[in-house]
Amino acid sequence: MKKEKHRGFHAQTGIYLGKFLRMFVFQSDWKVLPIGAVIAGIVTFVVGGNIFVTQEGTLMGSFALVCVCIWNGFFNSIQVVCRERSILKREHRAGLRAGSYLAAHMIYQFLLCLGQTGVTLLICSLAEVKFPQAGIITPWGIADLGITLFLVTYTADLMALMVSSLVRDTTTAMTVMPFLLIFQLVFSGGFFDLQGFAKSIRVLTISHWGLNSICSIGRYNDLPMVTLWNTIFKFRDIEYLGEKPLLEIIRQMEKTGTRDQFLQWAGQYNQNPEYAAVPGAILQNWGALLVLGVIFTVVALIAIHFVDRDKR
Amino acid sequence: MEVTVNLNSILYSLIGWFLYSLGLWKLLPKLKWERRWMAWVPGLRTVALGSAIDMGWEGVVCGAMEVLSQISRFWKPAENADERTELVLVLFTLIFLAVLIIYEIRIFLRLTQVMGVKKRWIILWLFAEWLPMMVFGFSSRFQPREDVALADDRAAGTCPADLSAATDPAGSSSSGLVVRLRERTAKDFLKKRYLLKDISLSIPNGSMVLLLGGSGSGKTTLVNALIGYEKADATVLLNGTDVYKDYDRMKYRIGFVPQQNLVRGNDTVGHTVNDAARLRLPARIKWKDRHSQVEEVMDLLGLTAGQDGLVSKKSGGQQRRISIAMELVVDPELFILDEPDSGLDGVIAREIFTRLREVADTGKIVIVITHTPDRVIDLFDKVIVLARDSGRVGRLAFYGSPQEARTFFGKDTMEGIVMSVNSKEEGGEGRADELIARYAAMTAEETEKAKKTEKAEEAEALQTEGGEGA
Repeated sequence: MKKEKHRGFHAQTGIYLGKFLRMFVFQSDWKVLPIGAVIAGIVTFVVGGNIFVTQEGTLMGSFALVCVCIWNGFFNSIQVVCRERSILKREHRAGLRAGSYLAAHMIYQFLLCLGQTGVTLLICSLAEVKFPQAGIITPWGIADLGITLFLVTYTADLMALMVSSLVRDTTTAMTVMPFLLIFQLVFSGGFFDLQGFAKSIRVLTISHWGLNSICSIGRYNDLPMVTLWNTIFKFRDIEYLGEKPLLEIIRQMEKTGTRDQFLQWAGQYNQNPEYAAVPGAILQNWGALLVLGVIFTVVALIAIHFVDRDKR
Repeated sequence: MEVTVNLNSILYSLIGWFLYSLGLWKLLPKLKWERRWMAWVPGLRTVALGSAIDMGWEGVVCGAMEVLSQISRFWKPAENADERTELVLVLFTLIFLAVLIIYEIRIFLRLTQVMGVKKRWIILWLFAEWLPMMVFGFSSRFQPREDVALADDRAAGTCPADLSAATDPAGSSSSGLVVRLRERTAKDFLKKRYLLKDISLSIPNGSMVLLLGGSGSGKTTLVNALIGYEKADATVLLNGTDVYKDYDRMKYRIGFVPQQNLVRGNDTVGHTVNDAARLRLPARIKWKDRHSQVEEVMDLLGLTAGQDGLVSKKSGGQQRRISIAMELVVDPELFILDEPDSGLDGVIAREIFTRLREVADTGKIVIVITHTPDRVIDLFDKVIVLARDSGRVGRLAFYGSPQEARTFFGKDTMEGIVMSVNSKEEGGEGRADELIARYAAMTAEETEKAKKTEKAEEAEALQTEGGEGA
């Protein structure tokens, strides 16, 4: 008997994409946008003032923005597959293609992440974050930043999608998620001094590449460093031979207007080659995020393909 | 790092290991485990014990932890190693021990259940695990309880009758559903478990069949084997086509409604059924035809009125009907439903079964599992009764019309029939073995009769041909 043709990859992807888009309206998925806005608002309120202004503020702000993106991405899809695993098995038995199902999720999540990136940038603008004027890859700094934020959000989203495809229930997914978040935060290499093996595994984190990229776009290496000045300021009342030499130096520098030169000079000693504001560095960071995204997608695809192997 | 030797500790461990292994070596045959040598191998002995009492996974974890904890226990860091190395080693030892203890408790609790002793025996186990093992192994007073399920691959073949010889007399038909299931097994680590054995059926098109059986008799396993989702050592022919060999095509011709309402709640009823049709129907079917097919099924199941509402807002009965509609929309040749009436009141359940009867009347085969069969038995043509034999294997105890079933089992109701094959521990009569054997003998006799009749007819035909030729 001749085999009848059933709906192929593209048609099935369309069916599921339509379903997910309807669910965006009917389900609470639309809520991720206002929630993302609230999170971005809180973060920019705390760290937004000095981002792209000083090296310390840029590092802290970039890290916070990366955290916001990873958080958004993780929460978008950590439960999407596992919560309907039984339904997926039923549909897989009835002819569903694993690739179509995953592709529909990826397109839907792509749109969701795009929306969240837009919201985050909007909130940053409203909080009067000083975006870099000139871009390094594109002519606009905000566009470079937007692409980075999107890639970080989307890669995190794909990672969560992979976890959701691997685990069998939402409880396990929500148990795994904090570990992944901690891993991303600790191994980003931004705040904790990593050595040896720990340093080598940071390449597996989304946060590392995201942080590098934002710092590059923000021209971290060209920004002033304030930590040294602040430290000197703290010790200004120390007396030596009946005098306060540090206070005197501070007054002198403020009077002659060389403070900013000092900050800039201090910044030159705090440069990080990974934050170089050159197209190659940023493209490498974006490329790494894309590679991670591809790996997560392949693992998710394999997991969904073998969904029938679940035992009762 | 270096391995430091503590003689006292090693001696104590060796004595404990020897006594435990000795006890287990005597216990394993009682648990019908043949590979007794495993009792003497660290790690493997726990795997053997776990597998013997149907806790294969726990046994493997326990075995691995046993080996790892012993390694980390005796492996001391070198003197010049930093504190962190020592800390990591201690941490891992603690993790291994914690997992080992938890899994050992699980295994031992199961062992107490199997041996029919009080759970307080676990206190003895915690302080000297070899002691209860020696007692269970050497004392003839302690024997496994017969009512506790132990997957035993030898027992699976010890049914009182040789069922493999029994075949359904009407089984040669090329139309309808023909099932020749030799066995359905599952691998549980080191153990092969028999789930189903020797099931032979032939269901004509247009039949509505009730699948009966107690818990664990293998109803869902049989259904999964019939639809080709979990393949068995079997031949399943649907209108002459082998379901297993041609699964990619046949899966679209078989509809299976699972026990739970596996439907997305946040989509509309209309879209849910329509998407199911788009996914399952051949691509050649035009939008107009598909649309009319969807409308027809929605009408049949009474879903048209609320098709714009969300699935999650519908009642249990309506959600059940949506789940049925998703499969029915492709007009399957074989339609199997696992408890379509669960959680529904009598009126709605009756309504659903009436709809299914209408489907069967269009020439389809409808097989239904239900735990409340008597209120709808008048709608069924045939009854399949599965029973779990003394080897805990699902077998065919009866296949025939509801009236024949009543006569065969000597019961007025279908629920009475289930009770007769259920074990005594489940509140049943525990007659499974007897009834399986009786049915096997009956079908073997019928097969023999059918063969004789066939031969006689052939001989008569030859004679007639010879006479005409002369």
